[in-house]
Amino acid sequence: MSKKNQNGCRGYRMTRRAMIGTTSASILGMHVGNLVARANETGQAKAEHVILFWCGGGMSHIDTWDPKPGRPTQGPFDAIKTSADGVQISSLFPELAKQMHHATLIRSIAGTNGDHGRATYNLQTSYAPSGNLRHPGLGSVVVHEKPRTGDLPAYISISGQAPRAAYLGQKCEAYYVGAPGERDPYLAFPEGITKVRGNKRLEILKKMNSRQANAIGAKDLKANDQAVKDAVGLMRSPALKAFEIDKESPETLGRYGDSDFGRGALLARRLVETGVRFVQVNRGGFDNHGNIETAMTNHGAIMDPALASLVADLNTSGLLKKTMVIVLSEFGRTPRVNNNDGRDHWARVFSSFMAGGGLKGGFVYGSSDEDGASPKDNPVRVPNIHATVLAAMGINPNKEVMTPLERPMKLVDDGEPISALFA
Amino acid sequence: MTQLRIRQAFLTSLAVLLTVGLVWAESARAATPLDRAIAADNQGKSNLTVVPVIDDLAYLRRVTVDLIGRIPTDKEIQQYLRWSPSERRGKVVDKLMDDARFADRWTVFFADMLRIRTRATGGQQLLAYVHKAVRDDKPYDELAHELISANGKSSVTPAVGFVLGDNAEPMALAGATAQTFMGIRIACAECHDHPFDEWTQKQFYGFAAYFGKTRRVQSRFSRSIYTTEGKEMTVLWPPERQKPESRSPVEPKFPFELISYKQTPSHIARLEAKRRAIAAREAGKVSAEAGVDIDDLVDSANATVDRKRGDFDVAAEAKRDLRKINTQADLYTESQLRQRLAELVTDPRNRYFSQSFVNRVWNEMMGRGFVNPIDDFSNENPPSHPKALAHLADEFIASGYSLKSLVKLIVTSDTYSRGHLSADVSNKVRMASENAFTATPIRRMISEVLYDSVVVAGHLEELKWNKGENVRTFRERIRVIIGEEKVENEPEAPKLPASVTGATGDNAMANKMANGQKPGKGYDLEKSVEIDFDKALMAKDDEPQIQMMAVKSKEQIEAERMAAEAAMRRQRTRYQYTYKWREYQRDDNPQYGTSMRMATPAPRPHFLRVFGQPGREELGDFREHAPSMRQALMMLNGKLTHEASRVGTLEPMHRLMVGPKANLDAAIKLAYREIYTREPNAAEVAEAKAIIKDADSDLEGMADLRWVMLNSHEFRYLP
Repeated sequence: MSKKNQNGCRGYRMTRRAMIGTTSASILGMHVGNLVARANETGQAKAEHVILFWCGGGMSHIDTWDPKPGRPTQGPFDAIKTSADGVQISSLFPELAKQMHHATLIRSIAGTNGDHGRATYNLQTSYAPSGNLRHPGLGSVVVHEKPRTGDLPAYISISGQAPRAAYLGQKCEAYYVGAPGERDPYLAFPEGITKVRGNKRLEILKKMNSRQANAIGAKDLKANDQAVKDAVGLMRSPALKAFEIDKESPETLGRYGDSDFGRGALLARRLVETGVRFVQVNRGGFDNHGNIETAMTNHGAIMDPALASLVADLNTSGLLKKTMVIVLSEFGRTPRVNNNDGRDHWARVFSSFMAGGGLKGGFVYGSSDEDGASPKDNPVRVPNIHATVLAAMGINPNKEVMTPLERPMKLVDDGEPISALFA
Repeated sequence: MTQLRIRQAFLTSLAVLLTVGLVWAESARAATPLDRAIAADNQGKSNLTVVPVIDDLAYLRRVTVDLIGRIPTDKEIQQYLRWSPSERRGKVVDKLMDDARFADRWTVFFADMLRIRTRATGGQQLLAYVHKAVRDDKPYDELAHELISANGKSSVTPAVGFVLGDNAEPMALAGATAQTFMGIRIACAECHDHPFDEWTQKQFYGFAAYFGKTRRVQSRFSRSIYTTEGKEMTVLWPPERQKPESRSPVEPKFPFELISYKQTPSHIARLEAKRRAIAAREAGKVSAEAGVDIDDLVDSANATVDRKRGDFDVAAEAKRDLRKINTQADLYTESQLRQRLAELVTDPRNRYFSQSFVNRVWNEMMGRGFVNPIDDFSNENPPSHPKALAHLADEFIASGYSLKSLVKLIVTSDTYSRGHLSADVSNKVRMASENAFTATPIRRMISEVLYDSVVVAGHLEELKWNKGENVRTFRERIRVIIGEEKVENEPEAPKLPASVTGATGDNAMANKMANGQKPGKGYDLEKSVEIDFDKALMAKDDEPQIQMMAVKSKEQIEAERMAAEAAMRRQRTRYQYTYKWREYQRDDNPQYGTSMRMATPAPRPHFLRVFGQPGREELGDFREHAPSMRQALMMLNGKLTHEASRVGTLEPMHRLMVGPKANLDAAIKLAYREIYTREPNAAEVAEAKAIIKDADSDLEGMADLRWVMLNSHEFRYLP
């Protein structure tokens, strides 16, 4: 009954396995595997944590990381100097500009899709959407490969949904935090139930459940007991203090800004300090088909202090070496400003902000052409960004995992780490 | 003695045989043909322990959960116990079959099977359509036939939601149709031949070609989406990834074998007889209705449809166009290919069709299929009980593909009614017996059932408190306006980008929850919005728009589109915001509806999803039954369990706790009946009393007891 071939694609697995052993692994898998192994040896694999800021809707690259001063496509914002020699970013980020010597920009991401859903899927999973299989997001891949440290869940998503863990299983799903700074009602007894009373209830429950589990002896009941034990462990963990951002000084709270994004960045920092592997902070509202000046001014005012404070604080505490901060969106926006003073979807080239985790500081990789319309140097395929993150953590992006239907899938869809990014 | 008490508490199946008088004497009842088939299949298997059937109350709980998706109420228990012991099981099955919730529960089954997502195009209508089909016990072959072959728009032809669910994409539909309706995993053959299996890539393409002329169309004017049939075959051979020089259209070919019987077998003969009788009855009805014409039909719809819409007389347009469509068939063309395919799939000689469905239903009620995974029928993966599977499939066909008949066959069998093995049984015997269906494996309530059972056990479907008894102070962070500016020319209100809901694009509820702009709403994870199934099936008043398009000139359409856009671009005010805390008071009198009519699947952090409701995105996206920490957190600390535990002043329990009729023993017994569907034994009453007396007040103590019971194994796992 416990035949391993109960699932689909029987037999196919074996032949494909055999094939992989002889061909593709030696071409791609081994190559990247070696690269990662080398990265491990040379100490390049420094990253232990990732904070991903997901900017949903398609963030304009020209109005953020890839300004085009003096060009007709410049748009409403000027370019400003930064602490990194010769690197300019948009005037929306005056505070972050002072931290750019810690950061790396990729300005040549060559996206392949201008549809929100499909591009989001691609940027978050490295794969193209397929009718028959759903792929896991980057955070799930990371926590699948790196063990949890500390009491808190390894993967936490703030202010919105991270992509699903798909075939990596329930254990790799993100723990959901609705609004940073608000009490998660599920981590404490219900309102009106004192600790004493709550603990008394738990004692009785334990007694009753073990009596019942002993009578029936099914594995499921034991697993359920374990789940309750884990839950109570988390409820009682001192690590939960990480969620109490109001314990920070008013000065710190003020620096990150009075916004969910700011609180999200601050919470992300505290979570990483407690050992959480992967934090995704979500922000929407970048689909600016009209009035992009107002929209981006607002975004800048909220994002600039948050990102700048985060990078600065991580650097001060030394955690920046081990923590990779990424700002990513599903695509950029059209170089041309449209009749509604907005910009439309543009996937051909766009940018990403990255910092820490062993990446170079004050570095720009790749470029777009003078109008920000197509990649000029070093075009970057989307899977290569994922491969870079994994390689930075010492994970082989070409490692294969089995889906429930026994189909071997690589962690990243044929991605190669961008070795030039590593310090 | 302790051991015995434990069994009485949970393992009612065995203990009750020894103690209480509710013995279901197995010998008093002949095993059904299904039981005999199971026994025949089990011939020669070793290590089997045959567990006796469970007692009457345990049976009531199990069958109520399986048929109507929640535990029984105390009232239902009392009614059941009033029936004579020899009749009560049969009577309660009949009663539950007629319960309105039967359709709710089994719509969940179909929603999993058909991967219904209410946020997908046509998803709501598809859900409502399936719900109606279950309610009316529509023959399953008819249902499948319509799902496979329908073309059109969801609001008119709701069955088209199945094809729209996979975006009318031939390859995806080929995989889904084979796996969903026949339990055959042919989807792998999209990319490669199966070295050791039956299907070649060419066969997959031939099967996919049945969908190769179907087109998903979005009207540029009304934005509505429908399917119709094109002329070109889009499935081409060789596959594109082989980069061939040229590709040619594939001829549709059904790769699965239909059995050719020399003589009509009796189950098919019975089916045909049944169908003839129905046809004769229908013929009588139709002749009575002869003479109905389109004008009458459209006019008769006036009660629900607003005739006038803007400057158009919609009904007049509709009449004109309905006639045109009838004669010219230029919109929503029927798919000849998929009609043919539906015939082949649903043919009673196609054993895969009936057996895979029977296997799914069996799995739903027994926790395990004859074939596992349930959608992987193949020579390499034979059924554990071929005779029983064939018997059920034949009976299912003979009944006219009646789901209710099938379910009834199962729940009235001894096999369904067996108890669990106790803890001291060896693992070897446990595995063997549970796989042989001589013992029932432990089975958890599915998420919707758990939710609804907490609601009903806690009297949360009606208000259980007087007005004003739950006034509480709430604190929330809100967004306040600090300035405004006039904005011209802004095209439509900014939509929430797909991103805030993650890659999955969850529904509006998720948007609301995920949206950083709505602080304070981050954690409403146990409630949801119900869908009105009747309304979902009612044609909308913008219905005839699409038909109208056919008679409008291009210029007309363009002018209307521009007018509509201009209307959206009216001057709007853009506000600037800041965040502020505010306190307010509200009477927080809890009330919960059924989870089975919610938008589905629920948003990912929602209770239902956490407890295993599948996302239904892809084939094989089955329900999860594994416990998790998040589940524990939601049950331990969630509002639903908390409110269910508290004793409301309007509950029957309250009268037994407070006032002249107070009777703690009776209260404890009521709690056991309402939550566990059984009476407590003496030790349990004593234990409960100790718990209650240990609290600050009896009412709080009862809440503690109920909270513990709701969180316990015995509540969540079926007897």
